[in-house]
Amino acid sequence: MAVYSNTDELHRVMVDLWTAIKNDPAMSQPLLASRLTVQFHYREPEGRLTVDCSDGEEMRIVAGECPKKPVVEMFMKSDVAHEFWLGKVNVPLALIQGKIVSKGPVNKALALLPAIKPAYSLYPRVIKDHGLKVSA
Amino acid sequence: MNPFVFTTPTKIRFGEGGVSSCGDHLQELGGHKTLIVTDKFLAASGKLDALVASIRECTENEPIIFSNVPPDSDINCVNEGAALARTNDCDSIVAIGGGSVMDTAKVINICLSLGGDLLDHQGINCISKRLLPLIAVPTTSGTGSEVSFVAMVKDHAEQKKLMFGSPFLAPDVALLDPLLLLSLPAKLTAATGVDAVTHCIECFVAAGTNSALTDSLCLEALRMLKKFLPVATRDGADLEARSQTLVASTMAGLAFTNSGVGVVHALAHSIGAKYGTHHGMTNGVLLPHGMRFNLETAQSDYGRMARYIGVSTDNNELKAANDLIEWVNALLLELDMPQNLKELGVPELNIDSLAEIADLASSDPAIMFNPREVSSEDLVSILKEAY
Repeated sequence: MAVYSNTDELHRVMVDLWTAIKNDPAMSQPLLASRLTVQFHYREPEGRLTVDCSDGEEMRIVAGECPKKPVVEMFMKSDVAHEFWLGKVNVPLALIQGKIVSKGPVNKALALLPAIKPAYSLYPRVIKDHGLKVSA
Repeated sequence: MNPFVFTTPTKIRFGEGGVSSCGDHLQELGGHKTLIVTDKFLAASGKLDALVASIRECTENEPIIFSNVPPDSDINCVNEGAALARTNDCDSIVAIGGGSVMDTAKVINICLSLGGDLLDHQGINCISKRLLPLIAVPTTSGTGSEVSFVAMVKDHAEQKKLMFGSPFLAPDVALLDPLLLLSLPAKLTAATGVDAVTHCIECFVAAGTNSALTDSLCLEALRMLKKFLPVATRDGADLEARSQTLVASTMAGLAFTNSGVGVVHALAHSIGAKYGTHHGMTNGVLLPHGMRFNLETAQSDYGRMARYIGVSTDNNELKAANDLIEWVNALLLELDMPQNLKELGVPELNIDSLAEIADLASSDPAIMFNPREVSSEDLVSILKEAY
């Protein structure tokens, strides 16, 4: 059974998590410095989240449709996203196996992985706040 | 055992004179009008004659030859090749050459098959449909591009490297014909062979992506390279040595395309991008240093590899692992490869250039497969040791 029961729930959790990342300069500064716009496409349930750091000053987090053209797009099941934020996904393996599909200069996004790793410890609290269980 | 996926879309045919079977394979794949992608040296060498004759006979059409691929191909070359193919209604591609030629052919295939903006097809696994038939004929033993799912070309104008990765990019057929390699110069034989050695060693210790299948390919390919790479370098006319190194290189290609490489390749890509150094030679210089860096996480794998290829009998993993590193050093000496970055032609590295290379390497996809996490400081330290 999927962790997220519907798109709204998925969007609320992801927006809260990314807001926590935005509010932590240790994580947000490298993202802003990259000036990247990354769009995450989720399925089962469907969802879309855009993290726009293009102006280098403010991180914009948009759930759902977003007119901004992303530099990098990542496609995955919502359950894979959940496992990722729990720190349980071997990203190289997931990319090779096609569990995560990337479009665009993926190297730019991969370079930011170390910066967002501290968010693994924030995620369990965020999903608990939304009444969800940590284990899938 | 961990779950794994191992993909091999490519039919591999090995044999002396095998290039003459190209037309038959094109026929099987439904090709009628073929673009041959190659470089100017091969085009002038007469080595294309048998290939062209085979294609002409089987397709009843004269193939179109695109021979403008430089050693370090770029997006302009891709666009030029694609335009030539479109003008001549080509429905199939044959790449004959080294890694740059084969990668260029793969990206031309994206242009012809998918159209649109090439940049929209960058990424990993975002190509999700079959492309036009592609046959690869390697004329060096090293890159593994004849079976790999990856292609890289430069965008010189934007100073960017474009990476495309998808099983649909892999050639349909790889024709391994050792006769094509007999005249490869010793220096190039050694340098491309060291690239294959690096594929074996980095792939074998990749971070959780390797499997029993990739392990077996890495071990046996390295054993073959240990025995035959020095022979092929000393005596380029030794057909058995050419055959063994060619097949070993393809085996290593099958392995790394399924499980990745590591810090050595990440740094070699970055140094190559900045200073234009030869990829195989750069890998060679960096390999012992990358292995030493990975020793704390990979020593038992290195030890296993050392025993398999017969450079150690020690059951102490650390000692056996060090034996493997020593063997790499000895091989580089025997092959007369550069021993450090300075010998390779890299100018003195100051704080800025070290930081720039480390920055490039940190964002190279190869680094995510490294068995040990690598910080910018680690990269700088490896570079300093290798200088």
